Amino acid sequence: MSMAAFTVPSVAHAPSDRNSLDEKISVRDLDFFYGDHRALKSINVPLYRGKVTAFIGPSGCGKSTLLRVLNRMYDLYPNQRATGEVLLDGENILDPAQDLNLLRARIGMVFQKPTPFPMTIYENIAFGLRLYEKLPKSELDDRVKHALERAALWNEVKDKLGANGQSLSGGQQQRLCIARTVAVKPEVILFDEPCSALDPISTAKIEELIDELKEDYTITIVTHNMQQAARVSDFTAFMYLGELVEYGDTTKMFTSPSDRRTQDYITGRFG
Amino acid sequence: MQPAGRGPVVDVALPDRRVGVQTAVDRARVLQKLKLNDAGFRYLTRGAAIAVLVILSGIIFSLIWGSSLALSKFGFGFLVTEAWNPVTEQFGAISPIYGTIVTSIIAMLIAVPVGLFIAVFLTELCPMWLRRPVGIAIELLAGIPSIIYGIWGLFVFAPFLQQYIQPFLIAVFGPIPGLSTIFAGPPYGIGMLTAGLILAIMVLPFITSISRDVFEAVPPVLKEAAYGLGCTTWEVVRYVVLPYTRVGVIGGMMLGLGRALGETMAVTFVIGNAHRISASILAPGTTISATIANEFTEAVEEIYTSSLIALGLILFVITFIVLAAARLMLARLNRRVGA
Repeated sequence: MSMAAFTVPSVAHAPSDRNSLDEKISVRDLDFFYGDHRALKSINVPLYRGKVTAFIGPSGCGKSTLLRVLNRMYDLYPNQRATGEVLLDGENILDPAQDLNLLRARIGMVFQKPTPFPMTIYENIAFGLRLYEKLPKSELDDRVKHALERAALWNEVKDKLGANGQSLSGGQQQRLCIARTVAVKPEVILFDEPCSALDPISTAKIEELIDELKEDYTITIVTHNMQQAARVSDFTAFMYLGELVEYGDTTKMFTSPSDRRTQDYITGRFG
Repeated sequence: MQPAGRGPVVDVALPDRRVGVQTAVDRARVLQKLKLNDAGFRYLTRGAAIAVLVILSGIIFSLIWGSSLALSKFGFGFLVTEAWNPVTEQFGAISPIYGTIVTSIIAMLIAVPVGLFIAVFLTELCPMWLRRPVGIAIELLAGIPSIIYGIWGLFVFAPFLQQYIQPFLIAVFGPIPGLSTIFAGPPYGIGMLTAGLILAIMVLPFITSISRDVFEAVPPVLKEAAYGLGCTTWEVVRYVVLPYTRVGVIGGMMLGLGRALGETMAVTFVIGNAHRISASILAPGTTISATIANEFTEAVEEIYTSSLIALGLILFVITFIVLAAARLMLARLNRRVGA
């Protein structure tokens, strides 16, 4: 308890209107282990509905690990385990009885490297849709179009939907992955350094996209780029060596952080 | 101080002109030598590549040359005649061709799904401690000499099939029209089904180990992305892993098929070596390579030898067609995914 209390005092710095905020996901006393190595230490953090929460921190601080806990991706690998609670709408997703396919349909993820599937652009989107719904061709076409429009990719690919997804440029591939994620209508979208492999123009497009998407989704983004965190997020969490050092309103975090380590990291003194 | 084991450092950038000229000469000599080495290397690699072409065309030429007598005497009829009679010197290739194709189809029908299942299990589902033993067992299976498959097939596997499996098949499929002819008795033990099963065991390791290797090369993040959409393991394998690895998997299948078509020793033991075409896969038959291996020593007449070489030529052509078909299939698959 004392440990947990120690790591979350900064929640108190969250904006005063947080009563109007709705916790879509609540992480409570979360520990994560790679074998014997404790990679996350008593993490407590809320992810608010319809808001963008950014996780920043130096490499290896556990931010990507935290993301991989949220959709139980770590379950694919042996010797990785999590303890504590992660509540999605009040329901603990770390429960072994949790249906993983259903969970991952509700919590979508966009990875650091674009990961188009080895199929056509159209199929990349339709694939996810077919997993959950049996749609007639015309409606499938509409949904694919809508998803591509949503990801601001439609105009660039509408004439070559039959081309392989891997033939697109890096930025287009990443937007294709976002479209694919959006198409299955998740409730939460996790972005794991979505722009680290992209040029500035593609990055700007994706940031714009995140801004539009947050109306309908709860968004979490891990980023190494501090300016990006400041631009796209409503709340920011700073992690260091597996601990959540500080969490709060983004503007406040970047103007007057309360922890010395946060200040040092943000001003580029380490990390 | 010089570090231990090093000669004195010579400064090539000395302003002294004499030294400069000396280095230039040295350098030219070194460069000359490098050039010579490089040319030698180039000719060596080119020579190795050309050797393949020379050997291949030599084989094709001698097959055609050797079979010309039989082909000119029997003409196209050689391909469609069932009779194979060394006494009357009547030779026809259709039954060994039929046997070769049927046994290979049986082998592939069994080995491809089983091999893919094993590979998927090993890469996606297998607990760590079981991975190595199963992987090593598969590789050992590939290392067993074919003569051992032959004697095992003849003395252990065929009697087992004759006693238990074949009577069961005849009893089950007997009343079903169509299938009753394919599984018509009596249970000989040896025959085309037995040969096909032995071949399946023999090609299984090829298909398995190649599929496993290419499955392992799929980027984990691609699989995670598919799992991240909520895919089940089956869906990830079916829609992401297999399409991503299709070139390698088909390559492994073709390698297996190539072995099945050409495998001689084990098949010769268990196929029964009968020059006839039967609708029943339980009946004895023969394959091209089994025929050649069995009869080459008896072939004293020129036309007999020539007919056997013609069989070899046909096997060569079949293998070539299979390879070409594989290429075509890959090209069509690529077009379908838009690559």
